[in-house]
Amino acid sequence: MLQVENIDVRYSDLQVLWDISLEVNEGELVSLVGCNGAGKSTIVETIAGLVTPENGRIVFDGEQLNGTPAHRIVERGIVLIPEDRGIFPGMSVRENLELGAYTPASRKQSKDSFEFVYNLFPVLKERHNQTAGTLSGGEQQMVAIGRALMSKPRLLMCDEPSLGLAPIIVKSILKVIKQISDSGVSILLVEQNLKASLSISQRAYIIENGRVATDGESSCMLDDDSVVGAYLGTC
Amino acid sequence: MAIELWSQTFVNGINIGALYALTAVGLSLTFGVMKILNVGHGEFLMLGGYLAYWLLTLFKVDPFLSLPLVFIALFFLGAIAYKLFFSVLSGYPEEQKVKNSLLVGFGLFLVIPQIARLLWTGDERGITPAYSGSSFPLLDVRIAYVPLGGVILAVIVIAALHLFLKKTYFGKAVRATSENWKGAKLTGINVDRTYLITFSLGTAIAGLGGVMVGLTQSISPDVGMEWTLKALIVLVLAGIGSIGGTLAAGLTLGILESVGAIFMGPYAVVLGLVIFLLILMFRPQGLFGKA
Repeated sequence: MLQVENIDVRYSDLQVLWDISLEVNEGELVSLVGCNGAGKSTIVETIAGLVTPENGRIVFDGEQLNGTPAHRIVERGIVLIPEDRGIFPGMSVRENLELGAYTPASRKQSKDSFEFVYNLFPVLKERHNQTAGTLSGGEQQMVAIGRALMSKPRLLMCDEPSLGLAPIIVKSILKVIKQISDSGVSILLVEQNLKASLSISQRAYIIENGRVATDGESSCMLDDDSVVGAYLGTC
Repeated sequence: MAIELWSQTFVNGINIGALYALTAVGLSLTFGVMKILNVGHGEFLMLGGYLAYWLLTLFKVDPFLSLPLVFIALFFLGAIAYKLFFSVLSGYPEEQKVKNSLLVGFGLFLVIPQIARLLWTGDERGITPAYSGSSFPLLDVRIAYVPLGGVILAVIVIAALHLFLKKTYFGKAVRATSENWKGAKLTGINVDRTYLITFSLGTAIAGLGGVMVGLTQSISPDVGMEWTLKALIVLVLAGIGSIGGTLAAGLTLGILESVGAIFMGPYAVVLGLVIFLLILMFRPQGLFGKA
């Protein structure tokens, strides 16, 4: 469904991604793992259209994506939950979710989407009038995920959804991501938490210094002590 | 006599204060949403005033009927100015954006009045329809029709803007963009277009203010900066981005100035600047802004 082919990305003089290639198939949950600063966030930001690659192609459903502005990429069915969650702190939970369904196609289905999101996160229904900035970190992450789902994505990219959350909340957030994946949405998950992300994903790419170091089946990687040993505890 | 003087002063204060609010609300919109401080805001007000003057003198269009035309014309003029001069700033970090927008706005302040001087000479022009001097008595005071029209216009425009931002999908997108432009992009909002429309809406509202300034006072090529400064005082008083607060702050400034004029004569203008400093010192988020 999504193919990233040999992309290079630089921020003015500094090249941060080198010849990155990866793919996500229909319905798959793929993780990107690697250390802080390895370039994982830049990869998903490039796919989302926030960053323009210097070389290479990004293809979604057979159509080239690079050069498409970010808001049009959302219309194509790819949505990114950024690392800082990107919610609108001064607006209510309901308004945040409403804006998730901003594209014309998703706006038509916003009633169903609201129901889906409120089912997934009942606490958001209870707090629909509360200002999003006053929620706890975990609830804000729920708003971010909920808002992304409102756009009816076919590919959901989550950048470090567990960042800064208590372990018990991390568990439930990852469970929700698995649940979303089971409902048929393809997911590209960026995580520093190697074990947790390998255990819920089917395949994984390990990113090191802006390059793809290894890729393979998550279960194999999890069993392979050399992978876990090499990347666990070194970040 | 005292009561009549006070109430008449009060009414005059409301009249002028409503214009302050109308001028400030456009500036508040662009600064709040885009972090662009357009010190050329008053120049668009001036152009709006001249446009209504032209429409009345050349085509006999009633100034109140010319309001929608001025709104549309200044909307497009604002869009052109944004595309040409301001849009390059949209990629800058916030602080750099504010600083550079000051320079661009100041450039407009230097250039637009000269163009106006070429088109309309340096003479002061008033927009004077047949009914411009008439008034009616209400209790102890006389209410003039034209300034009353200005107050009603200001209230309608500000209420409409408030509802637009609170209730419509696009208005919510504007607020979302002001809170987190990156997040807005990622929900599918066309941030560049939102900026363009927001800026143009600001200049269009400034144009409406210009029509009222031409009707109640006079328009000259150099009138712009004076109104930009008033708008800045109101903006600081209200707090950035507080649309409803702008109306209250504008009226407060108008009433203070007009009451102050009883005691201080022409020096009452200083009051606004004193308020400006006091607010910045003791309540920098403004009276109605969030901390």
